[in-house]
Amino acid sequence: GLRRCLISTDMHHIEESFQEIKRAIQAQDTFQNVTILSTSETLQSVKPSDTCCVTKNLLAFYVDRVFKDHREPNPRILRKISSIANAFLYMQRTLRRCQEQRRCHCRQEATNATRIVHDNYDQLEIRSAAVKSLGELDVFLAWIDKHHQDTSA
Amino acid sequence: PCVSGGLPKPTNVTFLSINMKNILQWNPPEGLQGIEVTYTVQYFIYGQKKWLNKSECSNISRTYCDLSAETSDYEHQYYAKVKAIWEANCSKWAETGRFYPFLETQIGPPEVALTTEEKSISIVLTAPEKWKRNPEDSSVSMQQIYSNLKYNVSICNTKSNRMWSQCVTNHTLVLTWLEPNTLYCVHVASFVPGPPRPARPSEKQCVRTLKDQSSEFKVK
Repeated sequence: GLRRCLISTDMHHIEESFQEIKRAIQAQDTFQNVTILSTSETLQSVKPSDTCCVTKNLLAFYVDRVFKDHREPNPRILRKISSIANAFLYMQRTLRRCQEQRRCHCRQEATNATRIVHDNYDQLEIRSAAVKSLGELDVFLAWIDKHHQDTSA
Repeated sequence: PCVSGGLPKPTNVTFLSINMKNILQWNPPEGLQGIEVTYTVQYFIYGQKKWLNKSECSNISRTYCDLSAETSDYEHQYYAKVKAIWEANCSKWAETGRFYPFLETQIGPPEVALTTEEKSISIVLTAPEKWKRNPEDSSVSMQQIYSNLKYNVSICNTKSNRMWSQCVTNHTLVLTWLEPNTLYCVHVASFVPGPPRPARPSEKQCVRTLKDQSSEFKVK
């Protein structure tokens, strides 16, 4: 099988950063009946061979859309979001290397999974969509933990 | 229907979650001592369409409600809310933040079995079990949910008062190079790498290493 593409980023630091802003960000999200990532059909149904490509696509989703679309007035929260964004840029470089080493194939299934995420995003007004996606970062961080961290450590 | 806002809201509405047993709990509204207030609870599955009733938690006088069954799909996220009722008056709803069992449940301590030799203690750990709806349901170990479940084993030599701890991933651990005929105490906490979660260690267990057999023979 495909040797897993491990991300050596200190996930603990990113998760702590998000934990500190999670309540405040999720409180800004008033559309409880809509989700961006958390539909169980989307992420839970991704096959192991497609997880790396989905991760790559979701990193691009956050870096190219969410972080750019979000307007954060609170400087403390903004600093935390920036540190998470920088960590995602580092992860993107790691996955790019994996792709060059042919350990991160992208098939139609992965593209379909991430299109659902983009479609969910497009359903909402841009600021609401961005804050909702930020509020669901714990889902994506748990996904990275599960699929790209060395569990023997 | 009651007059909404006629009473102050319950406070500190939170989920207390241990091994996926998810209890909604709250404090009574302030300033209503001596008044027989009752409470009604609703819950919401994030991404779904409407709030749902929990019939066993309608007009209750206790300040907690077991929502384990309603929140058993731990990969989903949830909200819950409660309001206070007294005669024709009721409070506005008091709501939790978004609750994500997979990331927020507290992993209970493992079962700890100790056996001793002269200079070693063998520790066998059994992962805690996930909450189950009915006692006769088959058990699911928290290890099955968290493949990266780890244990923090804390050991104390009660003679020298020396303490140390080890992080282990497998279920057996042998402590070697111990002092014979010495009482050692052990307690173990489970944890999962990821967002910080509260941890509750196991009860402290103490065992004495066996006497040094070689010194016994000399004495004879």
